[in-house]
Amino acid sequence: MARRGFLTTTALLACTTLLAACGGSADSGSDRDKSPQPKRTIEAVAGCENAWTDPADLAPTRKPARCAAGSPAAKPLAQRVKITVTAGSLSAEYLGPLRTAIAKGEFAKEGLDVELKQMPATDAITLLAKGQVDVLYSAPEAGMVNAVKQGFDIKWVAGNYSVAPESKTGVWARVKNGRTGDAVDLKNARFGTLVGKTSVIMYPIESVLAQHKTKPTEVSFQQLDGAGVPEAFKNGGIDAAWLLDPIWKDFEGKPEYTFLGGQPVGEPLGGMLYGQNLLAKNRDAGVAFLRALIRTVNTYFAGDYKQNPAFVQELATTLGSKPELLRSVPAQVVDWEIRGGTTDRVQKMYIEGKVVEAPALPEDKLVDRSLYAEAVGHTGP
Amino acid sequence: MTVTVKDNAPIRVLVREPGAAERDPGRARTRRRLLEIGLAVAVPVVLLLWWQLAANQGWIDDRLYPAPSTIVADGWTDAADGKLWPDVWATLARVLPGYAIGALGGFAVGLLMGTNALIRAALEPTLDALYVVPKLALLPIFMTMFGLGEAPHIALVAVTVFFFVWIATMAAVIAVPDGYREAGAVFGAGPWQMFRHVLLPASLPQVMVGLRISAGVAVLVIIASEGIASPDNKGLGYVIFNSRQLFDNRAMFVGIIVVAIVGVLFSELIRHVGRLCTPWAPRDRGPGQS
Repeated sequence: MARRGFLTTTALLACTTLLAACGGSADSGSDRDKSPQPKRTIEAVAGCENAWTDPADLAPTRKPARCAAGSPAAKPLAQRVKITVTAGSLSAEYLGPLRTAIAKGEFAKEGLDVELKQMPATDAITLLAKGQVDVLYSAPEAGMVNAVKQGFDIKWVAGNYSVAPESKTGVWARVKNGRTGDAVDLKNARFGTLVGKTSVIMYPIESVLAQHKTKPTEVSFQQLDGAGVPEAFKNGGIDAAWLLDPIWKDFEGKPEYTFLGGQPVGEPLGGMLYGQNLLAKNRDAGVAFLRALIRTVNTYFAGDYKQNPAFVQELATTLGSKPELLRSVPAQVVDWEIRGGTTDRVQKMYIEGKVVEAPALPEDKLVDRSLYAEAVGHTGP
Repeated sequence: MTVTVKDNAPIRVLVREPGAAERDPGRARTRRRLLEIGLAVAVPVVLLLWWQLAANQGWIDDRLYPAPSTIVADGWTDAADGKLWPDVWATLARVLPGYAIGALGGFAVGLLMGTNALIRAALEPTLDALYVVPKLALLPIFMTMFGLGEAPHIALVAVTVFFFVWIATMAAVIAVPDGYREAGAVFGAGPWQMFRHVLLPASLPQVMVGLRISAGVAVLVIIASEGIASPDNKGLGYVIFNSRQLFDNRAMFVGIIVVAIVGVLFSELIRHVGRLCTPWAPRDRGPGQS
């Protein structure tokens, strides 16, 4: 009897579930129906009168926006807010402003408790979409574009840095048969990268390939881990590679390797991505987060911060890095602004590389400059 | 079964009446078999239906967890278009040779160590230490040793399988009862005959268990290694991890489901081979077949 009852219950449950499963669907995605945000009042901020550059200005000589040191002043939130930030690495130099802001208590001054966690961007983007992470330190990668295309509320809200003109972060190639860098043939080359065709670095890579009359489709991209790229480049496993700071130093000055080009000067390709939590649910906290970060940049990273040995030592301690490692490469040009058209250019690469489907999203679907505009009190267009 | 207790008697007598299974064993077996098959089918079906229901009703975000019907439709389209097969073949082309090399190596070393105490004393501490090394951590080392092609992935599978089969084989050979060996010795068996007629038949069922476990682990390892660095950007692991990078959860789930199917088929193939090779072993007729 018991068995028959169990079977009957199971069968009934299955039938009920089947009927219900075949029924209509409901849409509970909290960010699918985005309601328009109320207009926010932006007030001028002391010390930040000239803290804005025209996004359309792509000149390599453009000076990044800056406020006076210690500006914009903190405006503590009414209630303390906990913010979870994820980054793929915690010791990379580009995390200097974020980790310095935490160490110096700049977020705390705004009423923010910032928790920084290490997590690959591929995992973190899902958590950002779900609202389990508030800020993702990454870039407008193909995954982010696809998430936005699927209706998730994610925006690139602040830049991070552009490389110094003397930096050689970028595409390096083996030089064959005594050829010069100009004559390097990249057709059918095996190209090693850390992130593959889904990353923003495809944009500068494509520029370099174009200079060598090669299309991205004519190159075989090999995705490797951090240690794998230089190792494979050294042992001949790959013909070209995207080398990061300070790895390229190992190849500099060696006749069998040559630097072909890197990230465009004056154009940040990464930075902070916000999800629904800070874009919609608690925008005040989103502005406060950027205000603390921008204040840190203006106070500690406004110029060539590597000219100050004491600060380099302090930064190395904060990052868990080594001072000599930081000193071995030029200072990054820290820049919280986002240039116009960057997302158009990277999407062009993604679509050509078939990692994002056409059509490209307009910039305003991917970029929101209004948070840092509010943080520095920019009221103009 | 009915039990009747007769009260008011000087002796309590228990009368046991035959149950249905004893009255009609054939019918009882059929019913039992149907019940087992029904449960084996119903449990996953009910789980899938709940998943479908949750997606349809919006209890879960179907952009992050696509409905089973979506996954099946996408998988079917990919299979029909031929998009899926190059990745399946790429993964199989890494798993099968790696598995074969690892299984043969593990079996040979396990036999040697199981039969020779000196070799066991010499090698066991070293192999024990290597056994606990996370195998995936060896991939970068293999890549520097063998280059960026297929070899490091095949080597990784081989090393992983080796340890599972080695341990199973060595333990099985050591566990062969002394009486079997003594019987062989009484009949004048030489080393080869002892191996062929005593140790091999006695240990093979346990070895087959190791082979089956390692079949599943081999699939796990290759998927993870393809996710780290996949030659020619092909393989089911590449599909899963690349789809995740692209926030293409539908393709990612298709990859996961195909991996599960490949894993089950591979494991069942090894079970079938094991049944053919060890007809004397206790019957293991597969899931839901007691």
